[in-house]
Amino acid sequence: MMILISKRIGFLVLTMLVVSVLLFLLLEYSPGSVATKVLGPYSSEESRELWLERHGYFEPLWWRYGAWLGNFMSGEFGDSVRFKVPVSEILWPRLWNTAILGFWTFAIMIPLSLILGVLAGMREGSKLDRIISVSSIITTSIPEFASTVLLSAIFVFGLKWLPGTSSMSSGFEVKQMILPVMVLIIYDFGYVARMTRASMAEVMTSHYIRSAVLKGLPYRQVILKHALRNALIAPFTVIMLQINWLLSGVIVVEFFFAYKGFGALLLEASLNQDLYVIEACAMVAVFVAVASQTIADIGYTYLNPRIRFS
Amino acid sequence: MAKTKMDHEKQGRDHPRIPDLKNKFLKGELDRREFLRTTTLLGLTAAAAYSFVDTFSTDLPDLISSAEAATPKKGGTIRAAMQVQDMSDPATYDWVEKSNVSRQMVEYLTITGADNVTRPYLAEKWVPSDDLKTWTFHLRKGVMFGNGEELTADDVIFNIKRWLDPNTGSSMVGMLNTMLKAEDGKDKDGKPIKVKRMIEGSAEKVDKYTVRIRLSSPDLSIPEKMYHYPAAIVHRSFAEKGANIAQNPDLGTGPYTLTEYKVGEKAVLKRRGGGFKYWGEDPLLDEIHYIDTGQDAAASLAALASGQVDTIYTLDLTLLGAAQTMPGIKVHEVTTAQTGVMRIQSGKAPYNDIRVRQAMQLAADNEQMLKTAHQGRGQVAENHHVCACQPDYAPLPKIKRNVGKAKQLLADAGHGGGLNITCNVGNTNGQWETDQVVVLKQNLAEAGINLNVNVMPAAQYWEVWDKADFSLTVWTHRPLGTMLLGVAYRTGVPWNEAKYASKEFDDLLTQAESTVDMDERHKVMAKVEKRIQDDAIMIQPYFRSVMTAASDKVKGLGVHPTNYHQWNKVWIDS
Repeated sequence: MMILISKRIGFLVLTMLVVSVLLFLLLEYSPGSVATKVLGPYSSEESRELWLERHGYFEPLWWRYGAWLGNFMSGEFGDSVRFKVPVSEILWPRLWNTAILGFWTFAIMIPLSLILGVLAGMREGSKLDRIISVSSIITTSIPEFASTVLLSAIFVFGLKWLPGTSSMSSGFEVKQMILPVMVLIIYDFGYVARMTRASMAEVMTSHYIRSAVLKGLPYRQVILKHALRNALIAPFTVIMLQINWLLSGVIVVEFFFAYKGFGALLLEASLNQDLYVIEACAMVAVFVAVASQTIADIGYTYLNPRIRFS
Repeated sequence: MAKTKMDHEKQGRDHPRIPDLKNKFLKGELDRREFLRTTTLLGLTAAAAYSFVDTFSTDLPDLISSAEAATPKKGGTIRAAMQVQDMSDPATYDWVEKSNVSRQMVEYLTITGADNVTRPYLAEKWVPSDDLKTWTFHLRKGVMFGNGEELTADDVIFNIKRWLDPNTGSSMVGMLNTMLKAEDGKDKDGKPIKVKRMIEGSAEKVDKYTVRIRLSSPDLSIPEKMYHYPAAIVHRSFAEKGANIAQNPDLGTGPYTLTEYKVGEKAVLKRRGGGFKYWGEDPLLDEIHYIDTGQDAAASLAALASGQVDTIYTLDLTLLGAAQTMPGIKVHEVTTAQTGVMRIQSGKAPYNDIRVRQAMQLAADNEQMLKTAHQGRGQVAENHHVCACQPDYAPLPKIKRNVGKAKQLLADAGHGGGLNITCNVGNTNGQWETDQVVVLKQNLAEAGINLNVNVMPAAQYWEVWDKADFSLTVWTHRPLGTMLLGVAYRTGVPWNEAKYASKEFDDLLTQAESTVDMDERHKVMAKVEKRIQDDAIMIQPYFRSVMTAASDKVKGLGVHPTNYHQWNKVWIDS
């Protein structure tokens, strides 16, 4: 088990290094534009040259990469061109905001999709299964940008029940969380529910479940004690994948509802060519993706009784 | 006998042109707005100018709307959806949004209202010399900065010098070109280049409250240029304190101070306390909140619809229909000189052949572009970037679309078999920009030109806006055509994205800037416009109207053609 964990962590580090090289080459290797962006379009050539020299842009590429990586490891991501403050001052609060959004989405979506998936999978082909399956497919197939518009039209412009944006400009307000969370749940719950249903349906047709039923065990005990653990292995992996999805998937929702989260930050940084913010966001997004996969792999090993290390 | 500078001021009389303007107004040869604009620019007080027109005109509508005429209520907070950008240094502003936040803290020597009339502000009056080459600004006494110090000539001199220092990077360099001279310098590779530096003594302190600026050539629009958005007057210690108005809001003379500010999120301005005595009439609002709803136009309208904000910065054209049907929401619209210029750099092939550029102009259907791309909201333009809404506009003979002639010109230029070109567009102001280029694509196709539309992200566009051969750039409104032409097409100015260089144009523009007589100025402007039109450096199809939307309870809100937030008389009817 320790070897597997070490291997996975080693893979994580290697992936991060490769990504860091790619990112550095893609975004940093344009010194002219960096100086113009930081100092403004009317800055003199002389001041741009001085800035580039002061920030080591005339040093060899490997030296620049080493310095950049060193700074990055110590949490110094550089200063945002747009916000004119260290990137870490913006990045962590924005990541925290997205974590809050993700928490509420998962807190509602996971139990809901697991329960519906299990209920559908328990009796495959039943009326309940069909209702759950069809509604899951419909909600999942509506893209987020469409459901944001649709829900806004109903609840903001039509019924006037909910606020149109979630900028939290006067502090945290639960009401402002409702629409973004609702959009994310609607889009994602169907996918997890379908996966759970498929997994549950497969488990329910396995021999050991049939034996347990024939042995005369109460149905409730068969489901809770024998079927669920195996049926939840596949959804576990899917749920871990949703963390990655959430980081990128929230872009549309955060942008539309003006929610000050990580996704909106990444998009606005790209639109404004805020290089240091893009770098930091990309590295964080990759880290979250690789780390969540590592945890999923380790968790999968623990959950799956067929994989055991002596 | 030759007149010396400021003769009329010394003699206690008006500028020699003013009696002539009064005569023209009385004869009906000058309209009310132009009379007010020109006489105030020549140093007549706004009160005297208004008193004159009110005495002699009876059939003119009152400029004050009924909403403004209602009894204003003091107090309350206005919440506006607008991008909250970094606004550290007013001198370097390149977006109006930045100035709208700081505009409540820092002020200008002059102020141009929504009616295009420039009035005194921090300067209680100005006096131009008879030859319009020397301008004396008399500062208002008792104007206090937030730090408790009085505004003096030293502050104004500090600001002017700072704007014109090339290390500051201010676009005021283009505005005050006549205070600069070209000196020999070197670029980074050591090649000799011309560097523009401020002429020694061109800004002079006459006494504690008087500043005199000297120009190398006459310029009538100096007071209007003093209200260009980077021309805010900050305290003379601004640079040494870090050149950041967000960190030092006390270095402005405005009635509000910044109490909360987070780029990309929020800016909160509150009426200055601590015994601060504002020099002007106290504004009505207690607080102004700018809430950043991001770059999605629909988000700001959603915020307005749900009552999270009271007004929005601009109403995107695509949302106009929705906004018009919303109860409790009022759409405000104003005709402006804002436009999307598809300018052409004539240095490289195929654009270095004027016949190609002329063919493009002849094939373009400006009217169709206005109708399709901007829902017909605006005025058709004539490819010279001077708007009929600007008082110095001179009508030129209409040039009709002529696809046959365009084809002939292309054939003469050796492109009879077709021509492939690309136009960059960044949608920096909205989808209408791409729509405009797409209509042009269809127009040009009729003449055998295949136009590729290169849609870029806005930020990426700003990297190439002045470099690409053919691009659409959005230009904001200026009160005068000469102001815009000076900042965008004069040889060598930073914003000359077309890289236009014409001595004839430069000379004509300088002549127009220095001509007070309206008839004469129109004659010169006709030549200026014709020069640009004949050189075929742009397809500029229309001037667009701009819109905003606000809740019914917001009173006294007018739309400024440059989207400036002049909110001292805005109030909330709660």
